[in-house]
Amino acid sequence: MRWAWILGLSAAFVAGCATGVRPWERDQLSRPEMAWEVDALEAAHRSHIHFSKEGSLPGGEAGGGGCGCN
Amino acid sequence: MLAALTASALLLPGLARAQEERWGVDYGFTLYSEDDLDSDKLQAGSPERYEIETHQLRMRAPLGGRIDVGLDLVHETMSGATPWFVEPDANGEPVQVMTGASVEDQRSDVLLRGTYLFDESRTSLLGGYSKEDDYQATNFGFSAEHDFNEKNTTFSWGAGLSLDEIDPTPTATNLNPSQEDKRSLSIFAGISQVINRSSIVQSTFTYQNGSGFLSDPYKLVSVGGVNLPDSRPDSRNQFSWLTRYRRHFSSVNGALHADYRLYVDDWDVTSHTVELAWYQMLWDALAVIPSVRYYTQSQAEFYGPYFVTSPGGEFTSDYRLSPYGALSWKLRAETRLSDWPFRMAWKVGVSWERYQSSGDLAIRDVEIENPGLVSFNVLMFNLSARF
Repeated sequence: MRWAWILGLSAAFVAGCATGVRPWERDQLSRPEMAWEVDALEAAHRSHIHFSKEGSLPGGEAGGGGCGCN
Repeated sequence: MLAALTASALLLPGLARAQEERWGVDYGFTLYSEDDLDSDKLQAGSPERYEIETHQLRMRAPLGGRIDVGLDLVHETMSGATPWFVEPDANGEPVQVMTGASVEDQRSDVLLRGTYLFDESRTSLLGGYSKEDDYQATNFGFSAEHDFNEKNTTFSWGAGLSLDEIDPTPTATNLNPSQEDKRSLSIFAGISQVINRSSIVQSTFTYQNGSGFLSDPYKLVSVGGVNLPDSRPDSRNQFSWLTRYRRHFSSVNGALHADYRLYVDDWDVTSHTVELAWYQMLWDALAVIPSVRYYTQSQAEFYGPYFVTSPGGEFTSDYRLSPYGALSWKLRAETRLSDWPFRMAWKVGVSWERYQSSGDLAIRDVEIENPGLVSFNVLMFNLSARF
């Protein structure tokens, strides 16, 4: 039930944004500081530290495992 | 690690991709240093906790306009003491017994990735291998991104499998440890949506099933005054829901990054993570980026600092499965140079992060704090070149 609610909200959100931003209006969106991860190496290493030292899954990605971190 | 390296390349918003048409080499050096354990929490062993030096190298090459191949290499060396078990002191307060300071290990990791670029979608395949003295992992993954709605909407999904082998080093309490296996299967699906000319949001669900040996072969648990091996269930189902928001402010030449992650699993752990960062650009050549991250988690159902009577077949005293909260602060500075020297585009970055965890920082009251909770500093330097 909760998942249906979340999916419904997401769909409504996407529909609300459907007016769209044209390709020539994307100067701000395409700036490097607007990337999901501005520095890929730093983001990868931080995610690894948090995964190793906390009890959660990083999220937003597939894979996992890969260290016997103490 | 492999998962994170993959994701960062695959989940770009489909907009900040202009530079990707060039060849790229990135190098990173990180010094990770945990605080010494407080003397009032230390029962025995060394107070000097882990230090890790990490070298990362990433190379990427576009081939023929449609294919992009990447190679990631990581090498790290670890040394220091690590929490062994917790026991009650004379007053019943939990105190930590650490290992000696002689624990040393190295980890090497290689990941190869190939991406095919269609007009409105991208498909990637990857394979990786990670090796430590006592641990090896082989990873495979697939992911895809599809653009819709004049590239205002991007749907991404993928799956990954990691096959891990654990071959524990013999210790004084376990002279002949058995070799163990672990398997992790994960899938994710997410959507990113342009909201307007200056903001974009992304939301991604990830599910992972782990099975096999999920215990820590080097940790013990005090049960009725007897130290028994850490013993966890042989399966774990984990869900994570990550939402990220980016907004650009032209008037001040800066950008806000806001991330929230909800995590739940069938070991009863629930966590919340909030991260805020501000990217202040100065003359388009220098960026100063302060950020703050808050994390809070509940304990696993079979966790206890120690057990007076046996709780059954499953128990752990690992601080990672204890209730706590953590706050970290980071400051990063980056400078970008285009076409000089050597007609290449360069980026040089330095960052420092302070991470502190404690029972008091948890969102819910923690009755007994695990004495092994970790606090650390991370110093990172990195250099990127595009040509």
